[in-house]
Amino acid sequence: MMKIPEYLLKMRGTTRGSPPRVSNSEIVWSWIGAFLGIAAVAWVDHYFFKGMDLSLMIGSFGASAVLVYGAVRSPLAQPRNLVGGHVLSAIVGVICWKLFHSFPGIAEAMAVASAIALMHLTRTLHPPGGATALIAVIGSEEVHEMGFLFVLIPATIGPLILLLVALLVNNIPKSRRYPEIWF
Amino acid sequence: MQDNLHEICGTGRAGDEPAEIELSDADILDAMRHIPGYLDITTEDFRTIYHLAHRHALGRLLGNFTAGALMRTGIQPLLAGMSLAEAAREMVRSGYKALPVVDAQGCVIGMLTERDFLRRFNVATFLELLLNARDGAFELTHRWHEMPVSAAMTSSVVVISRDAGFGEVVEAFRQHDGRSLPVVNSEGRLQGLLLRKDFISVRHQENL
Repeated sequence: MMKIPEYLLKMRGTTRGSPPRVSNSEIVWSWIGAFLGIAAVAWVDHYFFKGMDLSLMIGSFGASAVLVYGAVRSPLAQPRNLVGGHVLSAIVGVICWKLFHSFPGIAEAMAVASAIALMHLTRTLHPPGGATALIAVIGSEEVHEMGFLFVLIPATIGPLILLLVALLVNNIPKSRRYPEIWF
Repeated sequence: MQDNLHEICGTGRAGDEPAEIELSDADILDAMRHIPGYLDITTEDFRTIYHLAHRHALGRLLGNFTAGALMRTGIQPLLAGMSLAEAAREMVRSGYKALPVVDAQGCVIGMLTERDFLRRFNVATFLELLLNARDGAFELTHRWHEMPVSAAMTSSVVVISRDAGFGEVVEAFRQHDGRSLPVVNSEGRLQGLLLRKDFISVRHQENL
């Protein structure tokens, strides 16, 4: 059993100061990557999915953009995590909605918690995956009606587009390379 | 995390492996600035990884090290009852500056070094002996034909076992300033001689 003072002391943290600010060129390339990545998803959404009840754009892609264009080296931003995290979390989210939709709060908590556990198990941890699982539950009427189609659109196609743009953009500057690990 | 690390690193065998440099936050942050892009790791986590990796690397490099593998074999030890004159001839023949002294069972009971001889002649170095001899101030009056090795040897001898690891050897050489260590088996019988110069050259080859 841990003693209470020891427990409280841990809350002080271990480290003073956060990692250093990145260079200006890093900021510019993060901006360019995120702009093109999200624009590409929006463009595909507009031209291929317009008029359908399906939407390719979900909020969690904004979070993915932070990682794949803003923290290129991060293990969390690698292709396995980007695609695997969204796909698996979407599956978890849809299942949780189907099983527990009469208890929305339980369904939401189950979706996010189980998505994290599954991503850990499969070494695909990708923080935006948690958002994808949550979106599958919170949804909109359209999302709920899609059922498992939600796993394909947006949760597979979206990350693949982000990945393609990341491969093209992140390898332009000398100081960047992507990915570190494919799988 | 930090506590665990101290548990792992703090209880290491005494005198183990080369000292590890403690990295400050400033050291790590400076290194991170040399790598373009955002690194999502805290300085504390980096330090932890560094310490554990360092330990792992040492284990890999030194894990196979034993005193027995590096010792010189075929050493003719001196016997406690030999006269100093005989012992001196043995030492010259062997080429070593010190030889282990063993009892009838072959157990190491002491070490006879050149310094032990010098002490007998009341000088500190060979150069002093040389000067004294030239100035005629020195007479070889010592009765070294009668005196046994056991009376002149260093009897508080530091020995190591055949399977002594890197840390134990470092510690043994730290305990006394001799050039060599007798290597013994579990019964204390002489197996060979580990020379400091051999040990240092191996360390050098392994880039430690």
